[in-house]
Amino acid sequence: MSSARHVRQGLVLVLVAALSACAPLGSGADHPAPPSKLTQAQARHEYPAPPAPPERVPQGAPTAADAVRGFAIAYINWTAATVSARMRALAALSVGQARAAMELAAAQTAGDYELKRGGIANHGTVEAVAPLGSRRDQFVVVTRERTTATNSAAYAGLRPAWHVAVANAAQVAPGAWVVSRWQPQS
Amino acid sequence: MATVSAMLAQRTRHRVRSGTLVLIALLAGIGFVGIGPALFATLMSGNGSGGCGTGPAGSGTSIVLGAPGNGRLVGATEYGGPGDPSSGSTGARGDNLLAHPDTYAELGGLTWQTASAMGGLAYMTPLRVTSGERSAIAYKRDFGFGGGPVAGLPRVIDLWWQFAERLGIPYENGLWSGAIRIQRPPASGAANTLGQAAGADSALAPAPSRACTAALSGALTLTPGERARLLPGGLAAAPASAPSAVKAIIAAGNQIVGKPYVYGAAHGQPLSEVAPAYDCSSSVEHLLYGGRLLPVDYGAASSELESFGEPGSGRWLTLYASAAHVFMYVAGLRWDTHDAAGPGDGSQGIGWHPLVRSAAGFVARHPAGL
Repeated sequence: MSSARHVRQGLVLVLVAALSACAPLGSGADHPAPPSKLTQAQARHEYPAPPAPPERVPQGAPTAADAVRGFAIAYINWTAATVSARMRALAALSVGQARAAMELAAAQTAGDYELKRGGIANHGTVEAVAPLGSRRDQFVVVTRERTTATNSAAYAGLRPAWHVAVANAAQVAPGAWVVSRWQPQS
Repeated sequence: MATVSAMLAQRTRHRVRSGTLVLIALLAGIGFVGIGPALFATLMSGNGSGGCGTGPAGSGTSIVLGAPGNGRLVGATEYGGPGDPSSGSTGARGDNLLAHPDTYAELGGLTWQTASAMGGLAYMTPLRVTSGERSAIAYKRDFGFGGGPVAGLPRVIDLWWQFAERLGIPYENGLWSGAIRIQRPPASGAANTLGQAAGADSALAPAPSRACTAALSGALTLTPGERARLLPGGLAAAPASAPSAVKAIIAAGNQIVGKPYVYGAAHGQPLSEVAPAYDCSSSVEHLLYGGRLLPVDYGAASSELESFGEPGSGRWLTLYASAAHVFMYVAGLRWDTHDAAGPGDGSQGIGWHPLVRSAAGFVARHPAGL
Protein backbone atom coordinates (compact mmCIF):
# COMPACT_ATOMS: atom_id res chain seq x y z
CA MET A 1 0.00 0.00 0.00
CA SER A 2 2.74 2.40 0.91
CA SER A 3 4.44 1.71 -2.34
CA ALA A 4 1.26 2.32 -4.34
CA ARG A 5 0.67 5.64 -2.60
CA HIS A 6 4.19 6.74 -3.47
CA VAL A 7 3.57 5.89 -7.08
CA ARG A 8 0.37 7.96 -7.17
CA GLN A 9 2.13 10.89 -5.52
CA GLY A 10 4.89 10.62 -8.09
CA LEU A 11 2.45 10.70 -10.97
CA VAL A 12 0.80 13.82 -9.59
CA LEU A 13 4.17 15.53 -9.29
CA VAL A 14 5.07 14.63 -12.84
CA LEU A 15 1.73 15.96 -14.11
CA VAL A 16 2.17 19.23 -12.23
CA ALA A 17 5.66 19.61 -13.51
CA ALA A 18 4.55 18.95 -17.06
CA LEU A 19 1.74 21.47 -16.88
CA SER A 20 4.00 24.11 -15.40
CA ALA A 21 6.45 23.62 -18.23
CA CYS A 22 3.79 24.30 -20.83
CA ALA A 23 2.49 27.64 -21.93
CA PRO A 24 0.00 29.38 -19.63
CA LEU A 25 -3.34 27.68 -19.56
CA GLY A 26 -5.73 28.95 -22.14
CA SER A 27 -3.05 30.38 -24.38
CA GLY A 28 -1.24 28.78 -27.27
CA ALA A 29 -3.33 25.68 -27.46
CA ASP A 30 -5.03 26.92 -30.62
CA HIS A 31 -2.00 28.77 -31.99
CA PRO A 32 1.14 26.67 -31.50
CA ALA A 33 4.40 28.46 -32.02
CA PRO A 34 5.80 27.93 -35.52
CA PRO A 35 8.73 25.54 -35.67
CA SER A 36 12.14 27.10 -35.74
CA LYS A 37 14.06 27.31 -38.97
CA LEU A 38 16.40 24.63 -37.69
CA THR A 39 13.47 22.32 -36.93
CA GLN A 40 12.05 22.91 -40.37
CA ALA A 41 15.41 22.30 -41.91
CA GLN A 42 15.91 19.06 -40.03
CA ALA A 43 12.55 17.86 -41.26
CA ARG A 44 13.03 18.95 -44.83
CA HIS A 45 16.80 18.52 -45.10
CA GLU A 46 17.30 22.03 -46.35
CA TYR A 47 17.14 25.59 -45.22
CA PRO A 48 14.34 27.62 -46.74
CA ALA A 49 15.70 29.82 -49.48
CA PRO A 50 14.91 33.52 -49.46
CA PRO A 51 12.36 34.69 -51.98
CA ALA A 52 13.77 35.31 -55.40
CA PRO A 53 14.54 38.95 -56.11
CA PRO A 54 12.29 40.67 -58.61
CA GLU A 55 13.51 40.38 -62.18
CA ARG A 56 14.02 43.59 -64.08
CA VAL A 57 15.01 43.98 -67.67
CA PRO A 58 16.31 47.26 -68.99
CA GLN A 59 14.61 47.00 -72.35
CA GLY A 60 12.59 44.72 -74.57
CA ALA A 61 12.01 44.08 -78.24
CA PRO A 62 8.97 45.54 -79.99
CA THR A 63 7.60 42.09 -80.83
CA ALA A 64 7.89 38.64 -79.36
CA ALA A 65 9.48 37.31 -82.53
CA ASP A 66 12.07 40.08 -82.48
CA ALA A 67 12.95 39.23 -78.91
CA VAL A 68 13.40 35.56 -79.73
CA ARG A 69 15.41 36.26 -82.86
CA GLY A 70 17.75 38.65 -81.07
CA PHE A 71 18.21 36.21 -78.24
CA ALA A 72 18.98 33.37 -80.63
CA ILE A 73 21.55 35.36 -82.57
CA ALA A 74 23.43 36.20 -79.40
CA TYR A 75 23.12 32.68 -78.04
CA ILE A 76 24.80 31.01 -80.99
CA ASN A 77 27.56 33.52 -81.74
CA TRP A 78 30.43 33.56 -79.29
CA THR A 79 34.01 32.57 -78.67
CA ALA A 80 35.59 31.06 -75.60
CA ALA A 81 36.66 34.57 -74.62
CA THR A 82 33.22 36.11 -74.99
CA VAL A 83 30.78 33.34 -74.15
CA SER A 84 30.50 34.02 -70.44
CA ALA A 85 29.87 37.73 -70.89
CA ARG A 86 27.47 36.96 -73.71
CA MET A 87 25.45 34.60 -71.54
CA ARG A 88 25.47 37.11 -68.70
CA ALA A 89 24.15 39.77 -71.04
CA LEU A 90 21.44 37.41 -72.25
CA ALA A 91 20.47 36.72 -68.65
CA ALA A 92 20.06 40.43 -68.04
CA LEU A 93 17.81 40.71 -71.07
CA SER A 94 15.54 37.78 -70.20
CA VAL A 95 13.30 36.59 -67.39
CA GLY A 96 12.25 33.34 -65.80
CA GLN A 97 13.75 30.07 -66.92
CA ALA A 98 15.70 31.74 -69.69
CA ARG A 99 17.40 34.04 -67.23
CA ALA A 100 18.26 31.18 -64.88
CA ALA A 101 19.62 29.10 -67.74
CA MET A 102 21.76 31.94 -69.04
CA GLU A 103 23.09 32.75 -65.58
CA LEU A 104 24.05 29.13 -65.16
CA ALA A 105 25.72 29.07 -68.57
CA ALA A 106 27.59 32.27 -67.72
CA ALA A 107 28.86 30.79 -64.47
CA GLN A 108 29.85 27.49 -66.01
CA THR A 109 31.65 28.96 -68.97
CA ALA A 110 33.50 31.47 -66.85
CA GLY A 111 35.46 28.66 -65.26
CA ASP A 112 35.45 26.18 -68.10
CA TYR A 113 39.07 25.32 -68.58
CA GLU A 114 38.50 23.01 -71.55
CA LEU A 115 36.50 25.63 -73.38
CA LYS A 116 39.28 28.17 -73.10
CA ARG A 117 42.13 25.77 -73.68
CA GLY A 118 40.51 24.45 -76.83
CA GLY A 119 39.67 27.89 -78.12
CA ILE A 120 36.15 26.73 -78.83
CA ALA A 121 33.82 29.08 -80.66
CA ASN A 122 30.34 28.80 -82.11
CA HIS A 123 28.91 30.78 -84.99
CA GLY A 124 25.71 30.57 -86.90
CA THR A 125 22.66 32.16 -88.38
CA VAL A 126 19.03 32.14 -87.38
CA GLU A 127 17.24 30.55 -90.30
CA ALA A 128 13.68 30.67 -89.02
CA VAL A 129 11.59 31.90 -86.11
CA ALA A 130 8.10 30.49 -86.47
CA PRO A 131 5.12 30.63 -84.11
CA LEU A 132 4.38 27.32 -82.49
CA GLY A 133 0.75 26.50 -83.08
CA SER A 134 -1.57 29.42 -82.51
CA ARG A 135 0.31 30.87 -79.58
CA ARG A 136 1.75 34.31 -80.07
CA ASP A 137 4.33 33.89 -77.32
CA GLN A 138 5.89 30.54 -78.25
CA PHE A 139 8.20 29.93 -81.17
CA VAL A 140 10.31 27.28 -82.77
CA VAL A 141 13.73 28.58 -83.70
CA VAL A 142 15.87 26.98 -86.37
CA THR A 143 19.54 27.84 -86.50
CA ARG A 144 22.44 26.66 -88.56
CA GLU A 145 25.63 26.57 -86.56
CA ARG A 146 29.24 25.62 -86.79
CA THR A 147 31.44 24.90 -83.80
CA THR A 148 35.19 25.33 -84.15
CA ALA A 149 38.25 25.02 -81.96
CA THR A 150 41.51 26.83 -82.57
CA ASN A 151 43.57 24.60 -80.30
CA SER A 152 41.89 21.28 -80.85
CA ALA A 153 41.29 19.03 -83.82
CA ALA A 154 38.09 17.65 -82.35
CA TYR A 155 35.76 19.74 -84.52
CA ALA A 156 37.92 19.75 -87.64
CA GLY A 157 35.89 18.78 -90.68
CA LEU A 158 32.49 19.00 -89.01
CA ARG A 159 30.03 20.80 -91.21
CA PRO A 160 27.50 23.38 -90.10
CA ALA A 161 24.43 21.69 -88.72
CA TRP A 162 20.80 22.54 -88.16
CA HIS A 163 19.62 22.99 -84.61
CA VAL A 164 16.21 23.59 -83.12
CA ALA A 165 15.09 25.41 -79.98
CA VAL A 166 11.70 26.23 -78.51
CA ALA A 167 11.38 29.70 -77.01
CA ASN A 168 8.75 31.58 -75.07
CA ALA A 169 8.50 35.34 -74.89
CA ALA A 170 6.88 37.50 -72.25
CA GLN A 171 5.66 41.05 -72.47
CA VAL A 172 7.22 43.04 -69.65
CA ALA A 173 5.86 46.42 -70.70
CA PRO A 174 3.78 47.77 -73.54
CA GLY A 175 5.76 47.07 -76.68
CA ALA A 176 8.57 45.42 -74.74
CA TRP A 177 9.06 41.66 -75.15
CA VAL A 178 11.77 39.50 -73.68
CA VAL A 179 12.55 35.80 -73.77
CA SER A 180 11.19 33.91 -70.77
CA ARG A 181 12.02 30.32 -71.73
CA TRP A 182 14.76 28.92 -73.92
CA GLN A 183 14.76 25.20 -74.51
CA PRO A 184 17.27 23.95 -77.07
CA GLN A 185 16.22 20.63 -78.51
CA SER A 186 19.43 19.84 -80.34
CA MET B 1 33.05 -22.63 -99.44
CA ALA B 2 36.64 -21.50 -99.76
CA THR B 3 35.55 -19.31 -102.63
CA VAL B 4 32.83 -17.84 -100.58
CA SER B 5 35.18 -17.18 -97.69
CA ALA B 6 37.76 -15.56 -99.89
CA MET B 7 35.16 -13.45 -101.52
CA LEU B 8 33.77 -12.34 -98.20
CA ALA B 9 37.20 -11.57 -96.87
CA GLN B 10 38.02 -9.36 -99.79
CA ARG B 11 34.94 -7.57 -100.82
CA THR B 12 31.79 -6.00 -99.58
CA ARG B 13 29.14 -4.35 -101.68
CA HIS B 14 26.88 -1.88 -100.02
CA ARG B 15 23.95 -3.16 -101.98
CA VAL B 16 22.77 -6.65 -102.63
CA ARG B 17 22.55 -7.11 -106.37
CA SER B 18 21.64 -10.74 -106.83
CA GLY B 19 20.30 -13.83 -105.20
CA THR B 20 23.82 -15.20 -104.96
CA LEU B 21 24.95 -12.23 -102.99
CA VAL B 22 21.91 -12.52 -100.79
CA LEU B 23 22.86 -16.11 -99.98
CA ILE B 24 26.45 -15.12 -99.34
CA ALA B 25 25.33 -12.29 -97.21
CA LEU B 26 23.03 -14.45 -95.19
CA LEU B 27 25.76 -16.96 -94.56
CA ALA B 28 28.26 -14.35 -93.58
CA GLY B 29 25.80 -12.32 -91.62
CA ILE B 30 25.53 -14.93 -88.92
CA GLY B 31 28.82 -13.65 -87.62
CA PHE B 32 27.39 -10.23 -87.09
CA VAL B 33 24.93 -11.17 -84.45
CA GLY B 34 25.94 -9.45 -81.26
CA ILE B 35 28.57 -7.21 -82.73
CA GLY B 36 26.32 -4.22 -83.18
CA PRO B 37 25.27 -3.58 -79.62
CA ALA B 38 28.76 -4.02 -78.26
CA LEU B 39 30.33 -1.66 -80.75
CA PHE B 40 27.50 0.78 -80.27
CA ALA B 41 28.24 0.90 -76.58
CA THR B 42 31.89 1.51 -77.29
CA LEU B 43 31.11 4.31 -79.69
CA MET B 44 28.81 5.94 -77.23
CA SER B 45 31.36 5.92 -74.45
CA GLY B 46 34.51 6.38 -76.45
CA ASN B 47 36.87 9.11 -75.39
CA GLY B 48 34.25 11.36 -73.95
CA SER B 49 33.33 12.68 -77.31
CA GLY B 50 30.32 12.35 -79.46
CA GLY B 51 28.10 13.99 -81.99
CA CYS B 52 24.72 15.37 -81.15
CA GLY B 53 22.90 13.35 -83.68
CA THR B 54 21.80 16.41 -85.54
CA GLY B 55 22.96 15.93 -89.04
CA PRO B 56 24.49 18.68 -91.07
CA ALA B 57 22.54 20.10 -93.90
CA GLY B 58 25.45 21.36 -95.88
CA SER B 59 26.39 19.91 -99.21
CA GLY B 60 30.01 20.89 -99.55
CA THR B 61 32.38 18.48 -101.18
CA SER B 62 35.56 19.16 -99.25
CA ILE B 63 37.00 16.57 -96.94
CA VAL B 64 39.01 18.26 -94.22
CA LEU B 65 41.84 16.20 -92.88
CA GLY B 66 42.58 16.50 -89.20
CA ALA B 67 44.86 15.11 -86.58
CA PRO B 68 44.63 11.37 -86.05
CA GLY B 69 41.72 10.39 -83.87
CA ASN B 70 41.57 7.66 -81.33
CA GLY B 71 38.40 5.68 -81.09
CA ARG B 72 37.69 2.07 -81.82
CA LEU B 73 39.71 -0.08 -84.19
CA VAL B 74 37.34 -1.78 -86.62
CA GLY B 75 37.36 -3.62 -89.89
CA ALA B 76 36.53 -1.54 -92.95
CA THR B 77 36.12 -1.90 -96.67
CA GLU B 78 35.75 0.52 -99.54
CA TYR B 79 33.08 0.70 -102.23
CA GLY B 80 32.25 2.57 -105.38
CA GLY B 81 34.42 4.10 -108.05
CA PRO B 82 35.24 3.07 -111.60
CA GLY B 83 36.32 -0.42 -110.62
CA ASP B 84 33.09 -1.12 -108.77
CA PRO B 85 30.31 -0.06 -111.11
CA SER B 86 27.72 -2.25 -109.43
CA SER B 87 27.71 0.01 -106.40
CA GLY B 88 26.69 3.00 -108.51
CA SER B 89 27.00 6.49 -107.12
CA THR B 90 23.68 7.04 -105.37
CA GLY B 91 23.23 6.56 -101.66
CA ALA B 92 20.39 4.60 -100.17
CA ARG B 93 18.44 7.80 -99.64
CA GLY B 94 19.16 9.20 -103.05
CA ASP B 95 22.22 11.27 -102.24
CA ASN B 96 24.63 11.81 -105.09
CA LEU B 97 27.74 10.38 -103.50
CA LEU B 98 30.03 11.92 -106.06
CA ALA B 99 28.84 15.28 -104.77
CA HIS B 100 29.14 14.05 -101.18
CA PRO B 101 32.36 12.10 -101.08
CA ASP B 102 32.56 12.27 -97.28
CA THR B 103 30.28 9.25 -97.05
CA TYR B 104 30.32 5.95 -95.24
CA ALA B 105 27.89 3.06 -95.10
CA GLU B 106 27.06 1.21 -91.91
CA LEU B 107 27.15 -2.52 -92.47
CA GLY B 108 25.37 -5.49 -91.03
CA GLY B 109 22.00 -5.72 -92.73
CA LEU B 110 19.79 -5.34 -95.72
CA THR B 111 17.85 -2.28 -94.52
CA TRP B 112 18.47 0.94 -92.62
CA GLN B 113 17.08 -0.79 -89.57
CA THR B 114 19.08 -3.99 -89.76
CA ALA B 115 22.40 -2.58 -90.94
CA SER B 116 23.41 -1.87 -87.38
CA ALA B 117 26.96 -3.08 -86.99
CA MET B 118 27.73 0.22 -85.26
CA GLY B 119 24.54 0.30 -83.28
CA GLY B 120 22.27 1.61 -85.98
CA LEU B 121 23.55 5.16 -86.40
CA ALA B 122 21.11 7.72 -87.71
CA TYR B 123 21.28 8.97 -91.26
CA MET B 124 23.96 11.67 -91.51
CA THR B 125 25.65 10.75 -88.25
CA PRO B 126 29.20 12.07 -88.42
CA LEU B 127 32.15 9.82 -87.62
CA ARG B 128 35.80 10.67 -87.41
CA VAL B 129 37.62 8.04 -89.42
CA THR B 130 41.36 7.63 -88.97
CA SER B 131 43.63 5.60 -91.18
CA GLY B 132 47.26 5.76 -90.27
CA GLU B 133 48.09 9.40 -89.67
CA ARG B 134 45.17 10.77 -91.65
CA SER B 135 41.80 11.56 -90.24
CA ALA B 136 38.59 13.12 -91.51
CA ILE B 137 34.88 13.30 -90.82
CA ALA B 138 32.46 11.23 -92.87
CA TYR B 139 28.66 11.11 -92.73
CA LYS B 140 26.39 8.12 -92.93
CA ARG B 141 24.52 8.24 -96.19
CA ASP B 142 24.36 4.56 -96.96
CA PHE B 143 24.19 1.06 -95.55
CA GLY B 144 25.32 -2.34 -96.63
CA PHE B 145 25.39 -5.95 -95.62
CA GLY B 146 29.10 -6.43 -95.10
CA GLY B 147 30.79 -9.71 -94.51
CA GLY B 148 33.21 -11.58 -92.34
CA PRO B 149 35.88 -10.09 -90.11
CA VAL B 150 38.70 -7.99 -91.50
CA ALA B 151 42.08 -8.67 -89.98
CA GLY B 152 40.31 -10.25 -87.05
CA LEU B 153 38.16 -7.20 -86.50
CA PRO B 154 34.42 -6.96 -87.00
CA ARG B 155 33.59 -5.51 -90.40
CA VAL B 156 31.30 -2.62 -89.64
CA ILE B 157 31.88 0.18 -92.11
CA ASP B 158 32.17 0.70 -95.84
CA LEU B 159 34.03 3.83 -96.94
CA TRP B 160 33.05 5.61 -100.13
CA TRP B 161 36.05 5.27 -102.40
CA GLN B 162 36.73 9.02 -102.70
CA PHE B 163 36.75 9.36 -98.93
CA ALA B 164 39.02 6.37 -98.55
CA GLU B 165 41.35 7.85 -101.15
CA ARG B 166 41.52 11.11 -99.19
CA LEU B 167 42.66 9.12 -96.20
CA GLY B 168 45.48 7.67 -98.24
CA ILE B 169 43.86 4.28 -98.68
CA PRO B 170 44.87 2.83 -102.05
CA TYR B 171 42.04 2.32 -104.49
CA GLU B 172 41.68 -1.36 -105.29
CA ASN B 173 38.54 -1.25 -107.42
CA GLY B 174 36.35 -1.54 -104.36
CA LEU B 175 38.25 -4.52 -103.01
CA TRP B 176 40.33 -2.87 -100.31
CA SER B 177 39.79 -3.95 -96.74
CA GLY B 178 41.68 -3.08 -93.60
CA ALA B 179 41.61 -1.67 -90.10
CA ILE B 180 40.65 1.92 -89.32
CA ARG B 181 39.68 3.84 -86.24
CA ILE B 182 36.24 5.33 -85.84
CA GLN B 183 35.19 7.90 -83.27
CA ARG B 184 32.20 10.12 -82.69
CA PRO B 185 33.17 13.79 -82.93
CA PRO B 186 32.03 16.18 -80.22
CA ALA B 187 28.52 17.50 -80.36
CA SER B 188 28.40 20.80 -82.17
CA GLY B 189 26.21 23.85 -81.83
CA ALA B 190 25.84 26.28 -78.96
CA ALA B 191 23.31 24.28 -76.98
CA ASN B 192 25.35 21.09 -77.11
CA THR B 193 28.59 22.86 -76.37
CA LEU B 194 27.01 24.58 -73.39
CA GLY B 195 25.34 21.37 -72.23
CA GLN B 196 21.84 22.80 -72.58
CA ALA B 197 20.35 20.69 -75.35
CA ALA B 198 17.38 18.60 -74.35
CA GLY B 199 19.18 15.34 -74.98
CA ALA B 200 22.24 16.26 -72.96
CA ASP B 201 20.88 14.61 -69.83
CA SER B 202 19.79 11.40 -71.38
CA ALA B 203 21.90 8.38 -70.70
CA LEU B 204 20.81 7.13 -74.09
CA ALA B 205 21.85 10.26 -75.93
CA PRO B 206 23.86 9.04 -78.87
CA ALA B 207 26.56 11.58 -78.35
CA PRO B 208 27.09 13.56 -75.17
CA SER B 209 28.07 17.15 -75.64
CA ARG B 210 31.48 18.49 -74.77
CA ALA B 211 30.14 20.08 -71.65
CA CYS B 212 28.02 17.13 -70.72
CA THR B 213 29.37 15.50 -67.63
CA ALA B 214 27.56 12.24 -68.02
CA ALA B 215 30.89 10.49 -68.26
CA LEU B 216 31.36 11.22 -64.59
CA SER B 217 28.10 9.79 -63.55
CA GLY B 218 27.98 6.18 -64.45
CA ALA B 219 24.46 5.15 -63.59
CA LEU B 220 22.93 8.01 -61.65
CA THR B 221 19.70 7.17 -59.88
CA LEU B 222 16.97 9.75 -60.30
CA THR B 223 14.20 10.50 -57.86
CA PRO B 224 11.02 12.44 -58.58
CA GLY B 225 10.76 16.04 -57.53
CA GLU B 226 13.35 18.63 -56.60
CA ARG B 227 15.07 16.99 -53.65
CA ALA B 228 17.97 14.60 -53.69
CA ARG B 229 17.42 11.39 -51.76
CA LEU B 230 19.95 9.50 -49.69
CA LEU B 231 20.14 5.88 -50.78
CA PRO B 232 20.87 3.02 -48.41
CA GLY B 233 24.44 2.59 -49.60
CA GLY B 234 25.34 6.21 -48.96
CA LEU B 235 24.92 7.35 -52.55
CA ALA B 236 22.47 10.06 -53.48
CA ALA B 237 19.67 9.93 -56.03
CA ALA B 238 19.43 13.13 -58.02
CA PRO B 239 16.16 14.96 -58.45
CA ALA B 240 14.72 14.24 -61.85
CA SER B 241 13.81 17.87 -62.35
CA ALA B 242 17.22 19.25 -61.41
CA PRO B 243 19.39 21.01 -63.98
CA SER B 244 22.03 18.85 -65.59
CA ALA B 245 24.75 20.61 -63.61
CA VAL B 246 23.12 19.56 -60.33
CA LYS B 247 22.84 15.98 -61.49
CA ALA B 248 26.47 16.04 -62.52
CA ILE B 249 27.47 17.42 -59.12
CA ILE B 250 25.59 14.64 -57.37
CA ALA B 251 27.14 12.09 -59.70
CA ALA B 252 30.58 13.44 -58.89
CA GLY B 253 29.79 13.17 -55.20
CA ASN B 254 28.70 9.59 -55.60
CA GLN B 255 32.09 8.88 -57.14
CA ILE B 256 33.90 9.64 -53.90
CA VAL B 257 31.36 8.82 -51.19
CA GLY B 258 33.06 7.09 -48.30
CA LYS B 259 36.60 8.17 -49.18
CA PRO B 260 38.62 8.76 -46.03
CA TYR B 261 39.16 12.26 -44.77
CA VAL B 262 42.82 13.27 -44.85
CA TYR B 263 43.70 16.89 -44.28
CA GLY B 264 45.28 18.34 -47.42
CA ALA B 265 44.49 15.31 -49.55
CA ALA B 266 43.72 15.58 -53.28
CA HIS B 267 44.89 19.16 -53.56
CA GLY B 268 47.09 19.55 -56.61
CA GLN B 269 45.44 16.68 -58.41
CA PRO B 270 43.20 17.38 -61.40
CA LEU B 271 39.60 17.54 -60.26
CA SER B 272 38.64 15.18 -63.04
CA GLU B 273 40.44 12.35 -61.28
CA VAL B 274 39.39 10.38 -58.22
CA ALA B 275 41.85 10.58 -55.34
CA PRO B 276 42.36 8.00 -52.61
CA ALA B 277 41.37 10.53 -49.94
CA TYR B 278 39.96 14.03 -49.64
CA ASP B 279 39.63 16.86 -47.22
CA CYS B 280 36.64 19.14 -47.01
CA SER B 281 37.64 21.63 -49.67
CA SER B 282 39.10 19.17 -52.17
CA SER B 283 35.98 17.04 -51.99
CA VAL B 284 33.68 20.02 -52.47
CA GLU B 285 35.82 21.14 -55.39
CA HIS B 286 35.58 17.69 -56.96
CA LEU B 287 31.81 17.99 -56.89
CA LEU B 288 31.78 21.54 -58.21
CA TYR B 289 34.03 20.47 -61.06
CA GLY B 290 31.53 17.71 -61.80
CA GLY B 291 29.05 20.47 -62.59
CA ARG B 292 31.77 22.33 -64.49
CA LEU B 293 31.63 25.15 -61.99
CA LEU B 294 35.38 25.12 -61.39
CA PRO B 295 38.35 24.62 -63.69
CA VAL B 296 39.93 21.20 -63.59
CA ASP B 297 43.10 22.52 -61.96
CA TYR B 298 41.38 24.44 -59.17
CA GLY B 299 42.78 23.50 -55.79
CA ALA B 300 42.13 26.28 -53.32
CA ALA B 301 41.54 25.91 -49.61
CA SER B 302 38.15 26.42 -48.00
CA SER B 303 38.76 30.08 -47.26
CA GLU B 304 38.94 30.90 -50.96
CA LEU B 305 35.56 29.33 -51.47
CA GLU B 306 34.15 32.14 -49.32
CA SER B 307 34.12 34.16 -52.52
CA PHE B 308 32.77 31.39 -54.76
CA GLY B 309 29.89 32.31 -57.04
CA GLU B 310 27.38 34.74 -55.61
CA PRO B 311 26.43 35.55 -52.04
CA GLY B 312 23.57 33.89 -50.25
CA SER B 313 21.61 30.70 -50.73
CA GLY B 314 20.90 29.13 -54.06
CA ARG B 315 17.87 27.26 -55.18
CA TRP B 316 19.76 24.05 -55.82
CA LEU B 317 23.15 24.49 -54.25
CA THR B 318 24.37 26.47 -51.26
CA LEU B 319 27.97 26.32 -50.20
CA TYR B 320 29.03 27.28 -46.66
CA ALA B 321 32.67 28.27 -46.35
CA SER B 322 34.91 29.58 -43.63
CA ALA B 323 38.63 29.74 -43.08
CA ALA B 324 38.50 26.36 -41.39
CA HIS B 325 35.88 24.32 -43.19
CA VAL B 326 33.52 24.10 -46.14
CA PHE B 327 30.40 22.08 -46.77
CA MET B 328 27.39 22.45 -49.02
CA TYR B 329 23.82 21.45 -49.67
CA VAL B 330 22.96 20.04 -53.05
CA ALA B 331 19.24 19.69 -53.73
CA GLY B 332 18.65 19.42 -50.00
CA LEU B 333 21.35 16.90 -49.14
CA ARG B 334 24.41 18.02 -47.26
CA TRP B 335 27.85 17.16 -48.58
CA ASP B 336 30.25 17.17 -45.68
CA THR B 337 33.02 15.38 -43.90
CA HIS B 338 32.81 12.80 -41.14
CA ASP B 339 30.55 13.62 -38.21
CA ALA B 340 30.57 17.23 -39.20
CA ALA B 341 27.28 17.86 -37.43
CA GLY B 342 28.66 16.31 -34.26
CA PRO B 343 29.28 12.80 -33.03
CA GLY B 344 26.60 10.35 -33.99
CA ASP B 345 25.13 12.31 -36.85
CA GLY B 346 24.90 9.10 -38.77
CA SER B 347 27.57 9.84 -41.34
CA GLN B 348 30.73 7.99 -42.15
CA GLY B 349 33.65 9.58 -43.92
CA ILE B 350 33.19 12.05 -46.73
CA GLY B 351 29.78 11.91 -48.26
CA TRP B 352 26.13 12.80 -48.23
CA HIS B 353 24.59 13.56 -44.88
CA PRO B 354 20.94 13.33 -44.00
CA LEU B 355 21.00 16.04 -41.35
CA VAL B 356 21.51 19.76 -41.47
CA ARG B 357 24.14 21.42 -39.34
CA SER B 358 24.64 24.87 -37.99
CA ALA B 359 26.00 27.30 -40.50
CA ALA B 360 27.06 29.85 -37.89
CA GLY B 361 30.40 31.34 -38.79
CA PHE B 362 30.17 30.30 -42.43
CA VAL B 363 29.68 32.41 -45.50
CA ALA B 364 26.84 31.22 -47.73
CA ARG B 365 27.53 31.25 -51.48
CA HIS B 366 25.88 29.79 -54.51
CA PRO B 367 26.62 29.49 -58.21
CA ALA B 368 24.69 31.84 -60.42
CA GLY B 369 21.58 30.24 -61.76
CA LEU B 370 21.62 27.39 -59.27
